Amino acid sequence: MLLDDLLSRRLLVLTGKGGVGKSVVGAAIALAARERGRRVLLVEVASPLEAARRLGAGPSHGRPTEIQPGLFTVNLDPAAVMEEYVRHVVRIDLLVRRILESPVYHRFFAAAPALKELMLLGKIMVLEEERTGLARRHAWDLVVVDAPATGHGLAFLKVPLAAAEAIPVGPVGHNARRILKLLRDRRRTALVIVAIPEEMAAVEAVELHRLAVDEVGVAPAAVVLNGCHERRFSDEEEVEILRLSAAGLRGRLDEGVPLEAALRAGRRQVRRRKLTRFYQDRLRRALPLPLVSLPFLFREDLGLEELHSLAARLEAA
Amino acid sequence: MPRRGRDAVSALARALLERRVIVVCGSGGVGKTTTASALALHAARGGRRVLVCTIDPSRRLATSLGLQQLSGRPRPIDLRRFGAGRGSMSAMVLDVKSTFDALVLRHAPNEASRRRILDNRFYRHVSAALAGSHEYMAMEKLLELAADDRFDLIVLDTPPTRHALDFLEAPDRLLDFLDTSVLKWFLRPYFAAGRLTIRVATRTGAAALKLADRFLGLRFLEELSEFFLAFEGMYDGFKERAARVHALLRDPSSGFVLVAAPSPLALEEALFFHRRLAEKQMPFLGFVVNRVHPDPARDDRARRAPWGSLGPVAVEPDLAARLLAVFRDLQVLARVERRAIARLEVDARDRPILVPELEQDVHDLRRLAEFGDTIFGGVALASRPAAAVAR
Repeated sequence: MLLDDLLSRRLLVLTGKGGVGKSVVGAAIALAARERGRRVLLVEVASPLEAARRLGAGPSHGRPTEIQPGLFTVNLDPAAVMEEYVRHVVRIDLLVRRILESPVYHRFFAAAPALKELMLLGKIMVLEEERTGLARRHAWDLVVVDAPATGHGLAFLKVPLAAAEAIPVGPVGHNARRILKLLRDRRRTALVIVAIPEEMAAVEAVELHRLAVDEVGVAPAAVVLNGCHERRFSDEEEVEILRLSAAGLRGRLDEGVPLEAALRAGRRQVRRRKLTRFYQDRLRRALPLPLVSLPFLFREDLGLEELHSLAARLEAA
Repeated sequence: MPRRGRDAVSALARALLERRVIVVCGSGGVGKTTTASALALHAARGGRRVLVCTIDPSRRLATSLGLQQLSGRPRPIDLRRFGAGRGSMSAMVLDVKSTFDALVLRHAPNEASRRRILDNRFYRHVSAALAGSHEYMAMEKLLELAADDRFDLIVLDTPPTRHALDFLEAPDRLLDFLDTSVLKWFLRPYFAAGRLTIRVATRTGAAALKLADRFLGLRFLEELSEFFLAFEGMYDGFKERAARVHALLRDPSSGFVLVAAPSPLALEEALFFHRRLAEKQMPFLGFVVNRVHPDPARDDRARRAPWGSLGPVAVEPDLAARLLAVFRDLQVLARVERRAIARLEVDARDRPILVPELEQDVHDLRRLAEFGDTIFGGVALASRPAAAVAR
């Protein structure tokens, strides 16, 4: 079972080309984990609260918020995470305020190389390690991270590697190495590659897999193929749709539904289904990973109900 | 008055024949690279010598051009099958590191300072990872390419940004970072004297220095400091280039195309970028919204047969029910998209160019050409009269 494997880790990082629905997939995984009784934290980075909003959450103000029993979300803002770190290091209120107010700090923070990514990953590591209660149990059984769509492949995950090499000593270098260790620990961490059944997304999924293995050393655990068009017609019906289309029949199927238009919608569905199938096969061949398909949903808005149905798909995979 | 759809298409077609630089922007996953390539191909087929440059290291452009590999140098694409006549098309991928190196070579006063930068560990590891370096180097490359007389038109595909704003502002932020006066303020007194003394003017400066030390450790600070000192003297050259890029982007011979998907989120981003362009007085050419699902009942072909006059036809009930379900699904999708697009039309006071979902994925030259034909051939999707938009 795919979910068994994913839930045996403590940290899942979702990655994929922009627009493939990473946040929806992240929310569905979090929901599926919660249904299995896990305490889950869904982490989003500087997003307009996409997945959390779909799950019914309000703004989290940078703190994990329990939106359903056992399901927490947090939206990390890089600037706020950096401020938190400054407070943690400096500790003296007056100095903290002076530093945070100084233009030098702002200009440095705005452009310092990969500082934001490093701070965010550091924060994610802290969340993963957080313990609670007298028994000092892990605060969360599973942390699901919807990594920012930087558009530069795995740039986000490569940061600790570059930092560990560039900064040989000191706490930042030390932390970069700790983050790298967490990312490379196959028992704790896995990468989930999200794609859709389209050429560019499929190419990128394969590329992400290669970079993850060769350059970062983080283990991909699964490919989630989102937005799949599933079979709606039997083989005979598909043939019949083509026959009816070729016959050029005039008429209506229902009130306001010309047969011609319905047949066109039918042909489109068949075409999309075949494309879906093509990319499923191709990704299965190209990647040594379990592949889960999630359906394309024709809805006004994706809410809790739809996420539950996607979570059920993950559970069944 | 907003432009009509047809006007938006002809304005874009004209721009492809007349402008020198076209920058294609949009958030990730909206078909930006495909659109940029299709526009470039269309211009080439119109007789221009075009270069399309992409930033994406995942080689998406190569995929859509049907090439295995693209390099940091313009590589000609065989257009013989497309009857391009005098026109030609080349493609390249931006190599951030080598562009940065070239910038250093151009501005370094002498060999010694060149080496100081290129050998600096901080530079070697992070120059390509500096926040905004992709965007900055894209701009830098653009300046170089715009002066290249082998090409009449440069189409620049920009890095996908979560926040479209990043693209216009990242270069400034990077320049701010390289502005030695900023970091010198707390780094220089530290090292310039060649000994480790903390002599800073203000208590905040001292605290910031202490903080940096705790963050990064002494050795890294030394390297960082060397890095900034090495850039000293080159900064004015950088600043001057940046000013020229800004002038180029504001020039009437340039223009921006904003690409979006028909989802509310992507359209919101496009709208936001549109506003920023206006504020920065940069020429806007138009919106291209990709993969639009037309209402299946109002499609052109459906209109030819007025369904009021049609009688029911006999289709096997199971199949009829399934066809109906598929039809309704598509209607929902079309409705959601239409609403989002209508909002963009009202807010931007402009009519976007709508590209219907294509039957096939675009990943070779022929499909790219078809994609261009869809944009410039058929304007039916976008040809509702302007008055239909509430104002």
